[in-house]
Amino acid sequence: MWTPARQTAIVGIGATEFSKDSGRTPMQLATEACLAACADAGLDPHEVDGMSLFSMERNFEIEVARNLGIPRLRFFSMVNHGGGGGCATVGMAAMAVHTGAADHVLAYRAFNERSWHRFGRGVQGHHQSPEANDVSYSWTSPFGLLTPAQWAAVFATRYMHEYGATSEDFGRIAVADRRHAANNPAAFFHGRPITLEDHQASRMISAPLRLLDCCQESDGGVALLITTADRARDLDQPPAWIAGAAQGVAEDQWMMRSYYREDITGIPEMGVVAEQLWAASGVGPSDVQAAMLYDHFTPLVLPQFEEFGFCGRGEARDFIADGNIEVGGGLPVNTSGGQLGEAYIHGMNGIAEAVRQVRGTSVNQVAGTTNVLVTSGSGVPTSGLLLSSEGG
Amino acid sequence: MTGPQSSAQLDAALQALVGRQGPVQVAAHPVAGDEIRAWCGVMGEANARFLAGDAAPPATLNIWTMPDRLEGSDAGRDDAQPQHAAYGLLDAAGFTGVVATNSDQAYERLILAGDVLSAQTTLAGISAEKQTALGTGHFVTTEVAYTDGSGAPVGRLTFRIFKFRPGTGRGREEAPQDPGVDDEPPRRPRPRWNQDQAWHWEGLRERELRIQRFTDSGRLVHPPANADPVTHGMDHDWVVASGRGTLYSWTAPEHPQVPGFDYPLVVGLVELEEGVRLVSNVVGLPSDQLEIGMPLELCWLDSHDDVTLHQFRPAQPGRRDGTLRRGEVAVGDRLPPCPVDVTRELVVGGATATFDGQDVHHDPAAARAKGLPDVIMNILTSSGVVARWLGDWAGNDAEFRNLRIGLGVSNHPDDVMTLTGSVEACEGDTVTVAFAGTNSLGRHVHGAADLVLPDDGRGG
Repeated sequence: MWTPARQTAIVGIGATEFSKDSGRTPMQLATEACLAACADAGLDPHEVDGMSLFSMERNFEIEVARNLGIPRLRFFSMVNHGGGGGCATVGMAAMAVHTGAADHVLAYRAFNERSWHRFGRGVQGHHQSPEANDVSYSWTSPFGLLTPAQWAAVFATRYMHEYGATSEDFGRIAVADRRHAANNPAAFFHGRPITLEDHQASRMISAPLRLLDCCQESDGGVALLITTADRARDLDQPPAWIAGAAQGVAEDQWMMRSYYREDITGIPEMGVVAEQLWAASGVGPSDVQAAMLYDHFTPLVLPQFEEFGFCGRGEARDFIADGNIEVGGGLPVNTSGGQLGEAYIHGMNGIAEAVRQVRGTSVNQVAGTTNVLVTSGSGVPTSGLLLSSEGG
Repeated sequence: MTGPQSSAQLDAALQALVGRQGPVQVAAHPVAGDEIRAWCGVMGEANARFLAGDAAPPATLNIWTMPDRLEGSDAGRDDAQPQHAAYGLLDAAGFTGVVATNSDQAYERLILAGDVLSAQTTLAGISAEKQTALGTGHFVTTEVAYTDGSGAPVGRLTFRIFKFRPGTGRGREEAPQDPGVDDEPPRRPRPRWNQDQAWHWEGLRERELRIQRFTDSGRLVHPPANADPVTHGMDHDWVVASGRGTLYSWTAPEHPQVPGFDYPLVVGLVELEEGVRLVSNVVGLPSDQLEIGMPLELCWLDSHDDVTLHQFRPAQPGRRDGTLRRGEVAVGDRLPPCPVDVTRELVVGGATATFDGQDVHHDPAAARAKGLPDVIMNILTSSGVVARWLGDWAGNDAEFRNLRIGLGVSNHPDDVMTLTGSVEACEGDTVTVAFAGTNSLGRHVHGAADLVLPDDGRGG
């Protein structure tokens, strides 16, 4: 347990528009998102004294702090491993404010991952030093396994084989996300739902992954503001209490390529997160009303239900059937559209949507939302959050 | 002799030959055990009935009446045979290249040692001039009836060849070599290593797949680590993998297509029999033929001047003990895929074992003069290899009723052809197998065969 449950909170959320060509620099997007989060909370940005980042962030805190005119920054950190670190930035911020290392911490992600470069190109042309992390790609890149979609596909094939899951089961994740996005004016795919037939007709990217199994690179920025219970009371928004925050790495962990474990159908690092979140928060799967599950690739969503105990091993395909993960179902998932439908901001937009669900302000609001689960990157060293409307 | 002057004259002369039947051609020698065994040796045929030399594999149907010595391409040419007259006209008109394209064999009875076979050929058809990838030319179709010494039928053959003008193919011109320009082809991403793993990559250069073994625990770890995860011992050596494994998972990347790779591309997660997994390529099989758990065997790719990569291909299927029973077969069943190393030895040895003296099968210079990049496997070797593989699957007592094959791109030395097939139909005691053999250029052979299988041995 990182911090006592429900003693810290996300008190502000801010975002730019989501697009395929922002027309602005990533630093501009970061600055706008951070100012928006402060404005949402009703906090003077000069009061921010902490910054919590995760790697692949190229807008470093000193430049954002300079843009915001922050006079003193007392806490700044960067969690490693890209998309797996999104929820961890909030956990780090919670620890910082709880211990007094800082009073108000901003966590953010901003990039032009579509217009400036294509993140989905993976490690093509990657510079390889003889350092261990670069050498680790030698076991896959020379064989043509170069992109996140290709890495994910190897897990998907095995999952299908062991549990009888099908491409249509993966498609149901995309259909749910796109249904939610269609109702979200901020989503890139606003007004553009898809059917399972659309999914099945979409071209193969790396079998069994089809185009509509893959999120699309986006331009945009999202920022979150974290503080303590005492300070939260003085701000404008109802706090989204941090009932749990955790990181996870499991045995024989690789970046998207943990192919050497005895079983590769689960996401054991997500299990490490789940165990801690349930223990820290004192709640369980049946106490959660909505979940924002990291969905860069649909096949890696299914085992998340299993790791968190919403269903048994291999049973996610049944759990998600019949609209159970759509608004109106038993566990609505990715109610803003997720990364498949809203935008691919490395999961930070999912945290913002969880805050809206706790506040009761989502465009796809789930009734009676008390606890919302959020996860970060799947298949990588990861993290998670449990946000609650109850705390303080 | 001066040939016809115009293509219309040529066509007329050719068409005049169509429908004609040549004189009966009697084999110079009886079917002999040593020659049966030589054929089996080249094709890899292991049916005990044939190895004993008493009976010949059905796919040998048309070899016994061939000229019995390598005497050059014109050996045995006899213009009383209408097809030979047609070949002469075509050669004179510049259509000197030749490839066989189709062979449909149907069998009446097993060929036995001592049989003296006779062949009688009818020229069944000659196509108008066609443009193919090889060049412009004419397809010539013959029908041959084989009988034994008593005149009883042994089998029938419909055979088609393509006579073409060398150098008139579509898009086959070699790119001009400009020694002044360094146009290195794109390469795959280069693996990078440091002294922790150098031994592994050095092993691949020596065609050894080395797996790290921690010496205190005996534990195998791949990819290599710096310490045994349990004992933390750091002393390690390696074991050389047997090269046998199974397919644990896979993907077939299609987008993006990265320079340096050939698509379609299959990336496999392979579980070695030693117990560790590795990421490699699965070659020779389209992704729709992949099955989790299928046996694979190690092969190699020299990806850079100083880098060799491990690759995997379907494991050589073994020969069935006994014979497949009719009740064990259902429509849709897949035959085990079979890689065939197209060595120069197989191409030349196959031509020799089938008494095929055509120079394109043994003489690289002659092949090049006829518009081919190298010698090509003859259709009788393609048939023989396919028949051997079908027999390995079906077993010693399966009876071939026929073997129908068509050829596409050529089998040149140093390529690998992978045979795949499935059961298309089951009628009574007969199963129909459809198959294809694909090499690096595309599909070399496709076709079908009817095999009679024994019943389940119950009730009678």
